[in-house]
Amino acid sequence: MSSRISDWFKERLGLDDLPFFRTPDYMYKVDYWLGALVAAAFIYTVISGLILLLYYNPEAGYSSTEFIINKVPYGSVVLYSHLYGAYAMIILAYVHMFRNYFAGAYKRPRELLWIVGVIMLVLTLGASFLGYSLIGDALATSAVDVGEGIISSVPGLSIFIPILFGNYDAGDYGRVLAWHIILVALIGLLFAFHFFLAEHYGMMPSRKVKDKVPAVYTKEEWQKFNPWWPRNFVYMMSLVFLTWGFILIIPNALAYLNGLPQQLNPFLNPKPAPPPNSPAAAHITTYPPWFFLFLYKIADFTSDVLVFLFIGVIIPLLYLIIVPFLDRTPYLHPLKRKVFVGIGILMITYLIQTTIWGDLTPGIQIPVSQQILVYLPPAVITALGLAVIRPKEDKGGMIKGTISPIMALVFVVVTSLFIAAGATFLANPTLITAGVLIPFAGIFILTTKKMAPVALRAEAQNQKVISEEVSRVPEWKKKLAEAMIAILFIFAVILASQLWIIPSTGYLSNLFGIDLGLIFLMLGEAISLYHYVVYRK
Amino acid sequence: MIKFKLGKDDKTILDYSDLAFIRKLTKKMRDPKTRFDPREFVSKGEDYLFNYTNKNVGSVDEKRRRFLKSLIFGIAAAAVVGIIPGVRVLVPPTVTVTSGFPKSLLVDSSGNPIKASSLPVNSPYIVIFEYPMTGEPNFLINLGDASGKPVEIPPTKVVVPQTGKTYDFPGGVGPYKSIVAYSAICQHLGCTPPYIHFYPPQYVGPAQLSAPEPDQLSAQALLAAKQAKVPALIHCDCHGSTYDPYHGAAVLTGPTVRPLPAVVLEWDSSTDYLYAIGAVGVATYPNGSNGIPSTNPTDDLSSSFGSPVGNKTVVSETENPFSS
Ligand code: FES
Repeated sequence: MSSRISDWFKERLGLDDLPFFRTPDYMYKVDYWLGALVAAAFIYTVISGLILLLYYNPEAGYSSTEFIINKVPYGSVVLYSHLYGAYAMIILAYVHMFRNYFAGAYKRPRELLWIVGVIMLVLTLGASFLGYSLIGDALATSAVDVGEGIISSVPGLSIFIPILFGNYDAGDYGRVLAWHIILVALIGLLFAFHFFLAEHYGMMPSRKVKDKVPAVYTKEEWQKFNPWWPRNFVYMMSLVFLTWGFILIIPNALAYLNGLPQQLNPFLNPKPAPPPNSPAAAHITTYPPWFFLFLYKIADFTSDVLVFLFIGVIIPLLYLIIVPFLDRTPYLHPLKRKVFVGIGILMITYLIQTTIWGDLTPGIQIPVSQQILVYLPPAVITALGLAVIRPKEDKGGMIKGTISPIMALVFVVVTSLFIAAGATFLANPTLITAGVLIPFAGIFILTTKKMAPVALRAEAQNQKVISEEVSRVPEWKKKLAEAMIAILFIFAVILASQLWIIPSTGYLSNLFGIDLGLIFLMLGEAISLYHYVVYRK
Repeated sequence: MIKFKLGKDDKTILDYSDLAFIRKLTKKMRDPKTRFDPREFVSKGEDYLFNYTNKNVGSVDEKRRRFLKSLIFGIAAAAVVGIIPGVRVLVPPTVTVTSGFPKSLLVDSSGNPIKASSLPVNSPYIVIFEYPMTGEPNFLINLGDASGKPVEIPPTKVVVPQTGKTYDFPGGVGPYKSIVAYSAICQHLGCTPPYIHFYPPQYVGPAQLSAPEPDQLSAQALLAAKQAKVPALIHCDCHGSTYDPYHGAAVLTGPTVRPLPAVVLEWDSSTDYLYAIGAVGVATYPNGSNGIPSTNPTDDLSSSFGSPVGNKTVVSETENPFSS
């Protein structure tokens, strides 16, 4: 029956003839699909943002935020996950970008794809900053003030302030919401362009298949791969639901963690700070949103705004945009592009270093000697390291981790959340802490299972591409996967029935987000198992 | 469906999905793009057939696939069913504008209602109750003239210098209509008692110019009191803002640009009890950006200030700042 329905759609939509990339078997791994993860986060954030739009009033930012959290049914679930959807999008965009940077995916003929991507990152950061300002709490107001200060201290730029904020001097930020939406709409447009370009070139072939520019499969090679429909679609859906699950679970669980140390606040607290001008606001240290902590710290390095803008914004951005034209080597292997790989490693290191530094010492001036002390060692270590390592000349000599970087990240996050929830439960064993712990334990087990290289998804085992004989996955593993789908189904039904009894506002309402997120995770996991059973050979 | 008769049991040997599978396979075999190569088959045998079917039709038989699909759709359905209560997000909640204020009986620390007629006139003590949220203190003052007789406080229009707008102050209550209540949070930068407090008539004089904090009066404040012909003042020692308690705590001297919000009181003449029933003025804390106040007093009810006080609120005499 379902195959008949899918055939019906296939015929109407011409799914087989779509100009979408046909995918070889070895590409069904998360690192080839990071873009899909970013897109999933983007779509989630847009949907939740549209729901928030029904309630938000830019004239009274703080009180409408409070209203959404306290009065709107499941309002806090939507708001917190909107925030974390944006967080996820930023992190995943960075991961996606740097992964492609090291893979050399900006090279011919993908320059335009790369540049559009960099512009999207800038727009994403901008939209996130504006969105963060919409809360209207003490932190948002001070962030806007800092932003305004930077803009107005560059000569000639201050005409943009009324354009951006409306009547800023009268305290009217009425335009921030509009700009937030305009930037997101731009991201959406560029995303469509980026996506179709990517489908046009196809994904980057593995280095083992093509180690030189241009890294594209020819049309003839394409024809042998798996058609886009339905396998790519199935695989993509599993990633989308897994992403959505995490976006829902993490912030709603964090809403139950109270009294975070100050240093963790910019990263982990989904709740708004007190309003500006309230007595409580006097007691909080102001810091910008975490994704701008690095800029905030760079602003402490110099009193000259132009110098700051050059170091913090213009140079890195310009570099990322022109790197396709700087790196003219035909090789894709990172060790054959040592200079660029070195710059990339330093960019990541500095980004993380400066962010943490900004978190630990917000707004404290740093003398030049200390700056050198912090930034020189990574540069030296990277340079020495890269100088010593020689690229292996033999084919297939690439040493590759068995797990993708994104899985490692997820694993670290999940493990620490699981440990934190466990500690909370032991310290204070109530129904609620148990309710938080159990889902975390569930996610932890799921993730661990994913991490175990010998378990069900020993994906990376066979890297021999386009060869006739494919090693088969033993039938018992498939049977096990089938059994797991059935178990997930049972759990999903139990959780769904739970969802109906969670109060719609107040302290417990965030459990709704956690449970719904778990169902999404199960759905994503089940689809991924389905993909395993049906399509893996 | 092809069936076999075996005794009284119907045994299916070929059902629809098998048929579909065979049809698909034969179609693929005839298709020029994926033509089945009999010579290969002869040389490689079964393996070739197996690989071929796998590649062209899929290895998992239709029945298993259908079962798995139905499970997936089941989970998806569970997600949809789970979301249904969340759809309440789309239903606009009824907005309660001013009904947000509770009606609170003013009681003393042991829980007995305060009697309006027993409130001392022009008391130098700082008398405070929290309303409408905990953490928001208000003065309770029984105003009198210079000789200590209660005076009637008529309703007035109060001007907000910052915006030029006005609002109506309802006037005093009690047997002499002399009892008023104002926010005890200075509208300049939020100083609270004892820095801001009521100065009875005997303390509104040149002696206060040199008094120690928090009892100092500025020359400006004294002058303003004289010009406004009021015997007593509310004054904030932090930066010198002065308010006129006889006219809705209107601004007499800056730096404040907003009057103190007033708590609307109700007096029950049969019991002599006092109730707080609302607030007028700009919100206690301006919540607009850049200090532009909200004109909606219910903004005070935002939970960041504490929790609502409920139907009772305790009046306490904190101290007499002039005792020294
Ligand atoms: S806080 Fe009262 S005068 Fe400044």
